Amino acid sequence: MAVEPILSLKNINKSYQIGGQKIEALKNVSIDIHPGDFISIVGKSGSGKSTLMHIIGLLDTPTSGQVILNGKDVSKYPEEHLAKVRNSEIGFVFQAFNLLSRATTLENVMLPLQYSNTPKKNWERKAMEMLKLVDLQERVNNKSNELSGGQRQRVAIARALVNDPSIILADEPTGNLDSKTGSEIIKKFIELNKLGKTIILVTHDNDLAKIADKVFVIKDGEFVK
Amino acid sequence: MIYELYLSAIRSLLSNKTRTFLTMLGIIIGVFAVITLIGVGEGIQNYVTKQFSSLGSNLLFVSPGKRNLRGDPGANFSSNKLDDKHVKLIETYSSDFVTGITPYIEIGKTLSYKNKNYYTVVNAFDEDGFSTYNLTLDSGRFFTRADITSNSRVVVLGSNILNELFSNQDPVGKNIKIGDKTFLIIGVAAEKGGSIDNRAYIPYTTAKSIFNIKNYSSIVMKALDSENVDSAMKRIEIALYRDLDKDEFTVLSQKDLLNSFSSILSTVTLGIGAIAAISLLVGGIGIMNIMLVTVTERTREIGLRKAVGATPNNIAIQFLIEATALSVLGGSIGIGLGILVAFLIRTYANFDATVPLWSVLLAFLFSACVGILFGTYPALKAAKKDPIEALRYE
Ligand SMILES: Nc1ncnc2c1ncn2[C@@H]1O[C@H](COP(=O)(O)OP(=O)(O)OP(=O)(O)O)[C@@H](O)[C@H]1O
Ligand SMILES: [Mg+2]
Repeated sequence: MAVEPILSLKNINKSYQIGGQKIEALKNVSIDIHPGDFISIVGKSGSGKSTLMHIIGLLDTPTSGQVILNGKDVSKYPEEHLAKVRNSEIGFVFQAFNLLSRATTLENVMLPLQYSNTPKKNWERKAMEMLKLVDLQERVNNKSNELSGGQRQRVAIARALVNDPSIILADEPTGNLDSKTGSEIIKKFIELNKLGKTIILVTHDNDLAKIADKVFVIKDGEFVK
Repeated sequence: MIYELYLSAIRSLLSNKTRTFLTMLGIIIGVFAVITLIGVGEGIQNYVTKQFSSLGSNLLFVSPGKRNLRGDPGANFSSNKLDDKHVKLIETYSSDFVTGITPYIEIGKTLSYKNKNYYTVVNAFDEDGFSTYNLTLDSGRFFTRADITSNSRVVVLGSNILNELFSNQDPVGKNIKIGDKTFLIIGVAAEKGGSIDNRAYIPYTTAKSIFNIKNYSSIVMKALDSENVDSAMKRIEIALYRDLDKDEFTVLSQKDLLNSFSSILSTVTLGIGAIAAISLLVGGIGIMNIMLVTVTERTREIGLRKAVGATPNNIAIQFLIEATALSVLGGSIGIGLGILVAFLIRTYANFDATVPLWSVLLAFLFSACVGILFGTYPALKAAKKDPIEALRYE
């Protein structure tokens, strides 16, 4: 019997209206994501990768189509509700790291816990576990602007993991890193996938995309294969 | 979570100390001014009340001219006609209601002893004046009927003059100059607290002859019964109508004076309130302005927080707390400075400026309200930011 997908996109369309012109960023996109998957989405600049990722990550809503998370259609949820779902089900890793520069490593990792139901007494323990997972136990009390790019991205990964989400979404996670540091980060994702985490990697780099189990190629807002 | 938000608010305020300080300045100055002025006003109120109550509440005054304590000050300028005739009239026709009727003259004079000078108010009245003003002796004696009839050059000094001119030595029996005339010191009045201790007392007859004074500053007396002050006042008026028109004199009671003073003070308080409102308004606009800048600067942070699960409400509360922390901190600094200045006034100016608790609480509450009021718009703006736009923001 087939495993139920965690997340399915069904016939997603996303269009933007600029002036009188209609830009179709996504056209009839469907995808199933199963627990433990390592998926990459690859395509040229402007092909619609980020738009797709925002919809998968529930940061954006499609113009038409369904987003089904754990069997429920969440595409029409109100914003307050989507925030709660993002908090518990999705972990983001961004190209630009997006850490709070004034906060310490530990505080950055604890950020998603602030918005969760996790009792406060467990925050530090959970964050420390995640920092151990990304080998940053030694940098717990550093401010994020005291860290190297690779270290910052590992803090971001720890932050994405801390609420034990169903899916980790990474949009060009190596885009701001040199190739050596970049491949260390990728190794980290592979490791996490072996631990059972579901990972979606968005990139324009064909070689990088190949490390995933399933590669989806996107062109002008459509999957091609 | 409120605690985390509070912490992050403090952190972001500390991260740009100069800007935070400048933003709070409006609130600081406003609250500081209000706290200090209320403290001083309260001090004045206490001082005056103490002074009045030390004189006794059944004191009555007849002053020349029409005095309307609340209105037209120009009405005071009619000429002064009060003299002995009127003292006699009151004695004859009101003696069953009042006692201790004394003419009263008030003149500013420099007292000098050896090479020391002291400018003060010299009061002149008759031998009854001492009991009318509830004065008692520390040493020596008061002047008597005999001193009055013989225009004696004798003086009773208030206790503060001892400090100023005699280094606290008993001066009874010594000579002192009032203006350029020499007087014999016959007594020292016991301390009463307040400016009354700075005064010197001489027989009114002496004042008239030596300082060439024709009319009395007022006629002072005591109502026999403090319950009957109003009927006593009526009686005095009727007595004086035999010689004077109704706009040539005014009968006042201690209570009238106190009331008129209170009404002046409450007008001043209202003025202070208006200044406070304006400065808090300006301070609030400053906070709103900076919060709008902050929200724009931290667009990316807002996007990130939303991405990891912050609801619009969470974001709004975060920025509201920051605005409120800013205004409450400013208010607290203003309160602290106000209390400090009141303390300095108390210690160095020998004036009892006290900051009442209600003004501290009110100032605190007001600054919190300013933060909430002017922080709401920027907070809502932050809450409405689209996370995708916010994350893309450079
Ligand atoms: N807010 C928007 N308004 C209008 N058009 C948009 C908006 N966001 C994206 N688009 C358009 O949608 C298309 C897809 O954009 P998207 O950002 O998803 O591309 P991408 O594949 O992530 O590119 P890159 O590799 O450069 O990040 C582009 O043509 C883009 O101009
Ligand atoms: Mg992109």
